[in-house]
Amino acid sequence: MRKDSPLYIFMFIILISIFFGVAISAVHFLTLPMLKKNESLHKNRIITQAFMLEVEKDTPEAYQTVIDEKIRRDTVRVGNEQMEILTNKDTKEVGFVFDGMGFWEPISGVIVLDDDLENIVNLKILEQKETPGLGARIEEKWFTNQFKDLNVKWQAAKDKKIIIGSTASTDKSNVVDAITGATQTSMALMRMLNEDLAKFQKYREEI
Amino acid sequence: MADTPKNIFLKGLWKDNPIFRQVLGICSSLAVTNLLANTLFMAVGVIFVTALSNLTVSILRNHIPNRIRMIVQVMIIASYVMIVDIVIKAVNPDIHRYIGPYVGLIITNCIIMGRAEAFASQNRPWHSFLDGLAMGLGYAFVLIAIALIREPLGFGTLLGYDLPAREIWWHQWTIMVMPPGAFFMLAIITWISRRLQITAEEEQE
Repeated sequence: MRKDSPLYIFMFIILISIFFGVAISAVHFLTLPMLKKNESLHKNRIITQAFMLEVEKDTPEAYQTVIDEKIRRDTVRVGNEQMEILTNKDTKEVGFVFDGMGFWEPISGVIVLDDDLENIVNLKILEQKETPGLGARIEEKWFTNQFKDLNVKWQAAKDKKIIIGSTASTDKSNVVDAITGATQTSMALMRMLNEDLAKFQKYREEI
Repeated sequence: MADTPKNIFLKGLWKDNPIFRQVLGICSSLAVTNLLANTLFMAVGVIFVTALSNLTVSILRNHIPNRIRMIVQVMIIASYVMIVDIVIKAVNPDIHRYIGPYVGLIITNCIIMGRAEAFASQNRPWHSFLDGLAMGLGYAFVLIAIALIREPLGFGTLLGYDLPAREIWWHQWTIMVMPPGAFFMLAIITWISRRLQITAEEEQE
């Protein structure tokens, strides 16, 4: 068969795709237990940081022990969607895992509210793949620290419970600065936070 | 100079070094060199992808249809990059979180595509493998040199460990943490290396 014939090209592409597809799947399959373990460790680490819990050692076991002792984890249904609610057994602070579409890929994180649900205690980013140096800065401390003690306007419109960026309102108690050069990521984060706060509000009203 | 394995190796490391001679792969050399640990993972990833993609392209060179050779090369490179990405994510997720976006960009690293097209598609597998390995090592050597200066000056640490000077006189050079610091270091290293090369050439003459 001639090398430049359409049939040869077609067969070649199919064979090489199968070969590399199988190789990548095999590597993924072999590393799956490690990936799952890392994912669980990262999530536990972010939850302990969000609730500002002390962990003695930086080991998976130490994080798991603190989570088991201090945090109650409930998966609840709100409408057609699920929500992971986290409660500090001692302080009664309540948090939940929020997620949504970022500028490039999904973003998720943990937000913690005080026991009377008026103010945000802390916010930590779990996963993001935004532009390095721009949108990716949402996980930097200077940005997430702005959310500490931020007031949540539960009675405000669905998309204005908290505001990231500028607003015409004179009340700035629920406003944090957006990231310069990453307007789309800032907007996406604001959108997903407001949506999930509204979902959380609905859940609280239902119980 | 005849292309013996030794010459191929020396070309990649020094004479035709991809960074300071061919000026390829500059983007990632600026992005991942503010911490040595990130640099080492990136360097190992690039060495792995360059060597194996060169080897694979060379083995298949007589079977790859000429019309689609670039597509096939990209597919081979992308496959190895995905393998590197999965392995780094499994072995060290913290570093993957930082250099993950740049690992994906290894696919577009001009060194790899350039060597696959210019060398591996015309040479025997063993020589191609060596060429890829040497080009990867040449890239790694420059990146490590930059990181060895940026991390101590920018953070006062080396591989994350505090340096003794940190407690005594050290003051953070913020510019070394930022991309402009990498530009300065890259330019200085290129200048020194090119000067050494020119001096050696003049002495030979």
